[in-house]
Amino acid sequence: MINVEGLTRTYGAFTAVDDVSFVCQPGRVTGFLGPNGAGKTTTMRVMVGLTPASRGRVTIGGHLYRDIPNPGRHVGVLLDASAQHVGRTGREILTIGAETMGLPKSRVDEMLALVSLTGGEADRRLRNYSLGMKQRLGIAHALLGDPSVLILDEPANGLDPAGIRWMRGLLKGYAERGGTVLLSSHLLHEVEQIADEMILIGRGKIVAQGDKKSLLAGGGAEKALVTALDNAQLTSALQAKGIAVTAAGEGLSVEAAPVDVGRVAAEHQIVLTDLRSGGAGLEDLFLQLTSDTQREGHPEAATQQPAQAGGQA
Amino acid sequence: MSTTTVPTLDISGTGQVPLGRLVKVEVRKALDTRAGFWFAVSIVGLVLAVEVIFALVASDGDRTFENHLGIAGAVLGYFLPILIIMLVTSEASQRNGLVTFTLEPRRPRVVLAKFLAGLVLAVVVMVLSAVMAIIGMLIGGGDDWGLDGNLIFNGFILSAFVAVLIGFAIATLLMNTPAAIVGYFAYTLILPTAVGILSALSEGFEKVAPWIEFNTAQTPLFMGDYTPTGEEWAQIATSGLIWLVIPLALGIRRLLRIEFK
Repeated sequence: MINVEGLTRTYGAFTAVDDVSFVCQPGRVTGFLGPNGAGKTTTMRVMVGLTPASRGRVTIGGHLYRDIPNPGRHVGVLLDASAQHVGRTGREILTIGAETMGLPKSRVDEMLALVSLTGGEADRRLRNYSLGMKQRLGIAHALLGDPSVLILDEPANGLDPAGIRWMRGLLKGYAERGGTVLLSSHLLHEVEQIADEMILIGRGKIVAQGDKKSLLAGGGAEKALVTALDNAQLTSALQAKGIAVTAAGEGLSVEAAPVDVGRVAAEHQIVLTDLRSGGAGLEDLFLQLTSDTQREGHPEAATQQPAQAGGQA
Repeated sequence: MSTTTVPTLDISGTGQVPLGRLVKVEVRKALDTRAGFWFAVSIVGLVLAVEVIFALVASDGDRTFENHLGIAGAVLGYFLPILIIMLVTSEASQRNGLVTFTLEPRRPRVVLAKFLAGLVLAVVVMVLSAVMAIIGMLIGGGDDWGLDGNLIFNGFILSAFVAVLIGFAIATLLMNTPAAIVGYFAYTLILPTAVGILSALSEGFEKVAPWIEFNTAQTPLFMGDYTPTGEEWAQIATSGLIWLVIPLALGIRRLLRIEFK
């Protein structure tokens, strides 16, 4: 549905987005992951025509965004929840959106209810909103026109854990009904639980993409964490098979897949009390893939990202 | 890319956002914040105050409807641009342009809608000010209700129209609310004063001034018989080119290209 083709965006000598291509399919949640300033926001801005591409293009359902009439009815966009007049009430902000799109006023109340903003909160001015409330309002704004495509930049930013869980459910349900969702984040755990597909970006370039399984499969040798009643017996049994074992806390860290460890334990009738995958999780993979692209204090990076209040990274 | 076919979006059933709706939304946006609403109210309030003061202190012969209307027009011409400046610059200063231009990515339509909204507001404020002028007349007890067509057109409508354009030009050029308001006052207060001082010092400059200074050139619109001479019209045109047309062209060009962050 969203088709990014060879997208490049340069600012003078700085390349914010470098030959990026990917596709977002309907019925799926696509997670767009990368450290701050990796080019996520710039890519999304090009998608909705706020920033012109230097090379390449983005089409949504086969159209350039600017060629979509009344685009709010087709594509819901949340780029920055704080980018609203602070003197307007939440209800007024939604009303302006609904009026522009030609929607009935009742739609505003429906959306307020959907994102659980109470009447009192909706009548407060935006300057008195917490970041989480702004995010809810922004999501309500994106959903106003009942679009079939959602483009959300850091939507979980500022939401409390319950809010993040609520948003996950909302977006999963939206995708299950056939919608296309692209959401960006710099926090992996926000995305890995809902994204069917993940695009990892670092310093303007895509470093990996695919579903969780295929990303992990390419993520290096597997590891298992295991604890047995008799760790010494298990260690010697594994070492006899040529598998490297190191002590890790109360248990062992094994350079093999959990299934292989289980098999060895069964052969020798060793009782296991704990066995799990200790392989490079997505987090490790993410950091590893973007480690050479992490950067601090790049001036361009600072201007391309909204203030990060999450700080959980 | 594993997929070869990308599903398409059916947009055949959706029409463009009509321009009238965009204008309506922009008018709403000009008045739905405390700053915008109270500023509009203040303009009308100020006109009323000036009218009442004039009615009380002017000599009998001066309390004509024409004078009352001319004063209202002068106050409007002075403050209308700020209303326009707030409407246009808030898109960048308050950053809601991000949403405005996402909901209507064809920017020239938004620019046109904002300009038309400015005109609608100007007309409403003008009508209210005419009402204030009538109130002033009733308070002052003047009985000369005669009106000169030139006054209505030049002193009231044309000057308000120019005011809207000036506000639009400064706003789009600077795209920052405080800077644009400061810029506007520099243009209306400091510039004519500076030109006045220079004119007093140099006879040559005095002759040139009305050709290059828009405020000075517009004076014949509000003075005397409200009818500029051919030369005065030419001065309005040349100074208007420098202070209105060129900034407006550059400003709109900027608004169409600016990256709203």
